[in-house]
Amino acid sequence: MSFIGASFRRDIEIHRYPLLVYVLVPLAALVAQTWLPRVFGQYAYFDLPLVVTIYFALGRRSPIQGTLMGAALGLFEDALSHLAIGLNGIAKSIAGYLAASVGVRIDVENHTIRVALTFLLSLLSGAIYLFVSRFLLGLEFQWNWLGEIFKAIGNSVIVLLLFPLLDRLQIRD
Amino acid sequence: MESFLVRYRNHLVLLTILAAQLIGLGVQVRRSRAGRNSLDPSDSAGVRLIRFWAESVVSPPERLIHGVRSGAENLWMGYLDLHRVRQQNRELEQTIGRLRLEQAALLEDARQGQRLQALLGFQQRYIYSTVAAQVFGASGSDQSRVFYIDKGSDNGLARDMAVVTADGIVGKVRDVFPHNAQVLAINDQTSGAGVLLETTRIRGILKGNASGQLEVVGVLSDERIKPGEKVVTAGGDLVFPRGLPAGVVSKVIADPDNPAYIDVMLKPAANLDRLDEVLVITSMQPRFSGQEKQDMATSEALDGAQAAAMERQIQEQQKAAQITAERLPGLIVPNLPPDQQPMNDSSPPNPISPQPPSPLHPDEFSPLPGDKVVSGVSDDGAASSIPAAARKKLAAPGTSPAESAARNPHPAGPPAGRPASNAQTQPAGQPAPRRNP
Repeated sequence: MSFIGASFRRDIEIHRYPLLVYVLVPLAALVAQTWLPRVFGQYAYFDLPLVVTIYFALGRRSPIQGTLMGAALGLFEDALSHLAIGLNGIAKSIAGYLAASVGVRIDVENHTIRVALTFLLSLLSGAIYLFVSRFLLGLEFQWNWLGEIFKAIGNSVIVLLLFPLLDRLQIRD
Repeated sequence: MESFLVRYRNHLVLLTILAAQLIGLGVQVRRSRAGRNSLDPSDSAGVRLIRFWAESVVSPPERLIHGVRSGAENLWMGYLDLHRVRQQNRELEQTIGRLRLEQAALLEDARQGQRLQALLGFQQRYIYSTVAAQVFGASGSDQSRVFYIDKGSDNGLARDMAVVTADGIVGKVRDVFPHNAQVLAINDQTSGAGVLLETTRIRGILKGNASGQLEVVGVLSDERIKPGEKVVTAGGDLVFPRGLPAGVVSKVIADPDNPAYIDVMLKPAANLDRLDEVLVITSMQPRFSGQEKQDMATSEALDGAQAAAMERQIQEQQKAAQITAERLPGLIVPNLPPDQQPMNDSSPPNPISPQPPSPLHPDEFSPLPGDKVVSGVSDDGAASSIPAAARKKLAAPGTSPAESAARNPHPAGPPAGRPASNAQTQPAGQPAPRRNP
């Protein structure tokens, strides 16, 4: 468990990426998120913008960048839906902030930690969405927790495949 | 102060962004008179602008992907379809001709019906014109079941137009951009359509649940509602025309909030998860479209000369087919009852004529005029037909021709050298009396 210790944080490097990666990867995630449900139908249990938010937040280890990335992708998702703009924005802002905050303290190169963190943040993102919409805004709608768990599992599986690919795009000294 | 900002900048940025979004959310929510909060169904100008930007960023790559996929599919399917397209075209032409004849007959009924409806003050909403569109994207969120189509305000689309497929209703146009439009699917939680259970005539509101399943809510508990019953649009919501299929009842469950009501779960008529092409009903008017009028004019023209010619041609073809069928051997004759059909006939295929033809060169076995033919069955079971005299001869081989002539003189008399034939009729199967030599 030494990789989780606070003494380890100074040795953790901050990942850097070409500017194009910061633009194209989130855009690709948004396009895939809106197009893939047509292929998978009702079994499209994943949230690619959230996965990308977590990845960049963990890699950059900057809570501000994680918050901004989450807010931008969440607002994009909201704008493409018919619901209020800001619901996903708030949820993903907090998820990005927490992912970056955790990334400062632990070694996020470990796949098990990545998967576990993504699973928990996916569930947390759903809970924040529900809290804001139902309790803060007072909107009435049904909620499918089973679908949220499936989505968290789907995100965790995608992390195993996507994060190693995105790691190849970093700028190495 | 500066150190405070530097020290807590992460938290401050997060709080600022959250506060800004919460304020934005608060602007979008409306409070109804009943005290319930709901989202503003019509977006404000600012929200619309944000949606337009987001859609403008995401839709070009989506369209590109969709175009590549559709192109590959069309190429393959076009190659496959080429094999049967000629035969199909011929059949379709025949179908069109037949339908035009039928349409001509129905035209007068339709006009009469419209006149009667106008007299009754009932304005039936006919589908006037539609625009075909392709689905190229979705929202990507479980909470928002919307999809995007590649036709927009430039194609005449407007808000709240019904979107259907050949199988049934799909949704309604929610937001329109110049080249695209956002469609709210009927299985979304915020969707709503007036529907009617076809058999029981019970009305309800069709909407989606959290899992994306269709359900009819607002229905009082009724034991007559069974799985398998069809559900169609009621036409009262001013969006969907009346009578379009919405789905089939899959199961009936009690409403968890109100025990007096039930939720009727439906299997959607259209495949909402795999939508490719849809039709947007752009206008519903109590009149016929230009295309329909043109078709009717063609039918009316066909109803005269061409229809008669076509009918004659069909009759000639049927006549020729009948003649051909008559000339061809067949086991089934349409004019005969089943028990008299040739295939049920057990008689020998070569019937025995009652009187065999007289021989050109008669001998002792040849029958004489007035001699009866005796039928019998040989040892091997085969039917035989031989003259009685010959049978008698065979039965009594010792009898001489002279004796035969003495016993059975014939007035005409056989020619010289020819033995007289036996004129007696011997019952079939009875042996002839044996004589002593």
